[in-house]
Amino acid sequence: MLQTFLKTALRNLLKNKKHALLNVLGLSVALAACIIVFLVIRYETSYDKHLKNYKNIYEVVTKDIDESGENYTVGIPFPAIKFLRQDFPQYQFAQIMVNYGGQVTARAEGQPVGKKFYERTGTFYAEPAAAKMFELKFLSGDEKVLDDVNSVALSQSTAEKYFGNWKDAVGKRINTDNAQYDLQVAAIFEDVPENSDFPFKIISSYKGFETHNEAGWPLDDWGANSSNHQIYMVIPPGANTATFEQYLTQFEKKYNKNNIDAKRTHFLQPLSNIHFDDRLSNNGQHITTKRSLYTLAFVGLLVILMACINFINLSTALAVTRSKEVGIRKVMGSSRTQLRVQVFFETALVVGSAACIALIISYIALPYVKNVFAAQGKLNLFTIDSLLFLLVITLVTIFLSGVYPAFIMGKFKPVEAIKNKINTSRVGSISLRRALVVLQFAFSQIFIIATVIAVSQMNFIRNADLGFTKEAILTIQMNADSVTRSRLNAFKDELLKRNDVKQVSFSFDAPSSQNSWASNFAFDKMEDKKFSVNLKMADENYIKTYDLKLAAGRFYNMSDTAREYVVNETLVKKCGFNNPKDALGKMLRLGGRRPMEVVGVVKDFKQQSLREAVLPIAIYPSKRWYQTAGIKLSTNNLVKSNTEIQQLWDKTFPEYVYQSSFLDDNINEYYQQEQRLSLMYKIYAALAIFISCLGLYGLISFMVVQKTKEVGIRKVLGASVQSIMYLFSKEFTVLIAIAFVLAAPAAWYLMHSWLKDFAYRIEIGAGVFAIAIAVSVIIAWITVGYKSLRAALANPVKSLRTE
Amino acid sequence: MIELKHISKWVTIGGKPNFILKDVNATVNEGEFLSIMGPSGSGKSTLLNVIGMLDEFNEGEYRFFHEEVHKMKEKQRSNLYKQYIGFVFQAYHLIDELTVYENIETPLIYQDVKSSERKAMVADILDRFNIVGKKDLFPTQLSGGQQQLVGIARALIARPKLILADEPTGNLNSKQGEEIMNLFKQLNDEGVTIIQVTHSEKNAAYGKRIIHLLDGRIEREE
Repeated sequence: MLQTFLKTALRNLLKNKKHALLNVLGLSVALAACIIVFLVIRYETSYDKHLKNYKNIYEVVTKDIDESGENYTVGIPFPAIKFLRQDFPQYQFAQIMVNYGGQVTARAEGQPVGKKFYERTGTFYAEPAAAKMFELKFLSGDEKVLDDVNSVALSQSTAEKYFGNWKDAVGKRINTDNAQYDLQVAAIFEDVPENSDFPFKIISSYKGFETHNEAGWPLDDWGANSSNHQIYMVIPPGANTATFEQYLTQFEKKYNKNNIDAKRTHFLQPLSNIHFDDRLSNNGQHITTKRSLYTLAFVGLLVILMACINFINLSTALAVTRSKEVGIRKVMGSSRTQLRVQVFFETALVVGSAACIALIISYIALPYVKNVFAAQGKLNLFTIDSLLFLLVITLVTIFLSGVYPAFIMGKFKPVEAIKNKINTSRVGSISLRRALVVLQFAFSQIFIIATVIAVSQMNFIRNADLGFTKEAILTIQMNADSVTRSRLNAFKDELLKRNDVKQVSFSFDAPSSQNSWASNFAFDKMEDKKFSVNLKMADENYIKTYDLKLAAGRFYNMSDTAREYVVNETLVKKCGFNNPKDALGKMLRLGGRRPMEVVGVVKDFKQQSLREAVLPIAIYPSKRWYQTAGIKLSTNNLVKSNTEIQQLWDKTFPEYVYQSSFLDDNINEYYQQEQRLSLMYKIYAALAIFISCLGLYGLISFMVVQKTKEVGIRKVLGASVQSIMYLFSKEFTVLIAIAFVLAAPAAWYLMHSWLKDFAYRIEIGAGVFAIAIAVSVIIAWITVGYKSLRAALANPVKSLRTE
Repeated sequence: MIELKHISKWVTIGGKPNFILKDVNATVNEGEFLSIMGPSGSGKSTLLNVIGMLDEFNEGEYRFFHEEVHKMKEKQRSNLYKQYIGFVFQAYHLIDELTVYENIETPLIYQDVKSSERKAMVADILDRFNIVGKKDLFPTQLSGGQQQLVGIARALIARPKLILADEPTGNLNSKQGEEIMNLFKQLNDEGVTIIQVTHSEKNAAYGKRIIHLLDGRIEREE
């Protein structure tokens, strides 16, 4: 029986090549999109699961409450661990100190300095307990080396990068951030998997951090709380976390004498949440919220659904032409079930071949996935679970697409079927098919609107007036140590000798940066404000280098320490002055420092991404914190200037690694996620349009069949080709209009909430909606045009001839 | 074999019943060759479909080999006609996607006949109808007469007791028609009961009995 089914199925497909092709094409693209979505979601949810203790590891994190609301941080005050261990000796605790980006010098025999590297992530100070907790597999040595203040453990690939062969690395010396002391490589561990939020590469002893503490971290201070300092713990299964959580809420009240009103509390963050909770940061590359994963899954589902709708439309349209066969088979003794099995079998054949093609498509597309999604690791297509997923989704698709046509065909009455009395109106209602197409069009219009809005928002951001110049500014990361400080002036003089260098400024950071440093403050001899001020330490050339504009007063003069302050307009406004001039001459006190005079007010500039509103800012010189050099260039060859400036740097700072970037690139990086999102919208919009076009084509084929007789009669009565074309396109234009009515509010709501994340955003105008509807109408007309023209040109004698 | 009592069938148009068959009474015995005649719209084909259990009726009783068809469910009915009845159509109604061989084989597949047995039966009938050479051709590659031959072969393959033929020669020229009618006569002589619907007096004459229908009623018998 199956053999004959297969035979008829194949012959039927070959007979209706075009339909089969449309079906296979639509389905395979949709299935491929689904597989990729699956791979991305699987990758994102696989983070940290390689740890055997995955379910039992927790991070102790902090919640601060102040006027601006609740603030969350992974940081824990330095003194905390002592009390945690004292109160809960039965639990295992481990503290780590994260080093965000720094220089590593690999010492080599016979070389004065050694090989210099810059590590953006992966440098940690950790206790031996942490190495144990995160299950590092040591190839040489073990976690006990972290008890030695001058020892360091390297990951295998890091050791190979520094010393060629990891076996040679043991016993060698490295230096981090040009510290006064070197570290000895005492252990090598296997590389941590890519899908880990703990990308350990270089682990120095935590004890060493406390002993050396060159950066001067306040190790006994409850007040300071840096997100670099984190505490993890293991709570064995079965133990009651509730009592510990309760203890954490009271923890600071008990031990931190300054936190009497308990503004700061702590809670447990399970390891399984660390990759998904965007209230807190993690040590990996990114956080993916569960919500965005759900959205992704939803989009994948939507695409498959649209393809299934196409299949149903196309195969029920075909059912009419096959009614005779169905009728004969019934007369020959086929039961309904057998017929339905046959239809299902054909569906399975089409969907199955689509699945094979989908596998090929996704294999080809996989290398490009990282441009669209945050998952940067290697996605593996050919694993048991992804193939299993493909199998399941294929079966579901077969079911979804096959069940309705099978039901319809099984229902045919044999007498009517063989007498060709089955016309389209009996094959399910046309209104169902219309509804399905409206749904598809609504989906694709939502995608079109979302794409247009996302792209224009991105353009808006790219061209927004930031209040300073970002083009042709080279920034160099420096170490804020005494050696560097002593050579700054010489470096600057050398730079200014060059023709292409217009200005040089040393500062804590560029006007717009992801660093932030805030302080409480008092203005005009009043009490401390309820909000804090952001600090920008910079030399006197800051204003000229970045083209900041003065609103009142003047910029301060050259100085190594603060004597006068310059503030921004927002601070002035927030302190209750309408005119910037009124703020001049007032005294400003930062934290517990000596109050000093405000001599100037700069116009507001965007100090972070455009998602954030402008904050109150104070600018003052403080040479001790300068770690960024901003160089304003005037040249057509930025790359060449960069290379030559590097040579200058290497001469001036031979022991320091050259770490430069252009300011506009840095700023673009803030919007990586949005760029990806807008690219994803573009891709899915294209996909949605493509699939709904296939659906439209299916529907028009169906309607042409249905209206053959009507068109014939009209032509005999003298209808022109145009009037018949109009007959068809009118219908679809109405359908698109209905779809638009559904899509527009949904898209508006969706994108409105997306835009809300931006403090600076475009308005959603009528133009966007006009584009969406125009695009869908034009595409629909093009799709419908050919088929309806053929119908209009057909000879009416043929269509009116009965059997 | 067949016993029809007070069979009526109607459709309701505008609230009024419109009779297609009205109070039809008939008995057909095994081995008969019955012709049903009548003008277009007189209900001939409907009557044939009712007898073939392809169509339902609104009123009356229908006994097939003493089994009460009017009380059966669709599945039982279809099992019954699968076993006893073969159909021949005016428009042949072969499946275009299947070859001659496969078309003839189809009813056997639905009756769960084993593959080896099927082969023997199909080979047998191809031989008997002299169409062995055509077995791998598709219906569109055959002439009308040849297609109807295949249609009859397919109707006979499951060795039915009854053949229902709805204007079997309607689409054929007179020579082809004559051949088909002779075939029917021969089959009837071999003991197969045949009921045919026809327009042509000449073809009707092949039957041993003729029923004339008019407006859904039996007008007369001869």
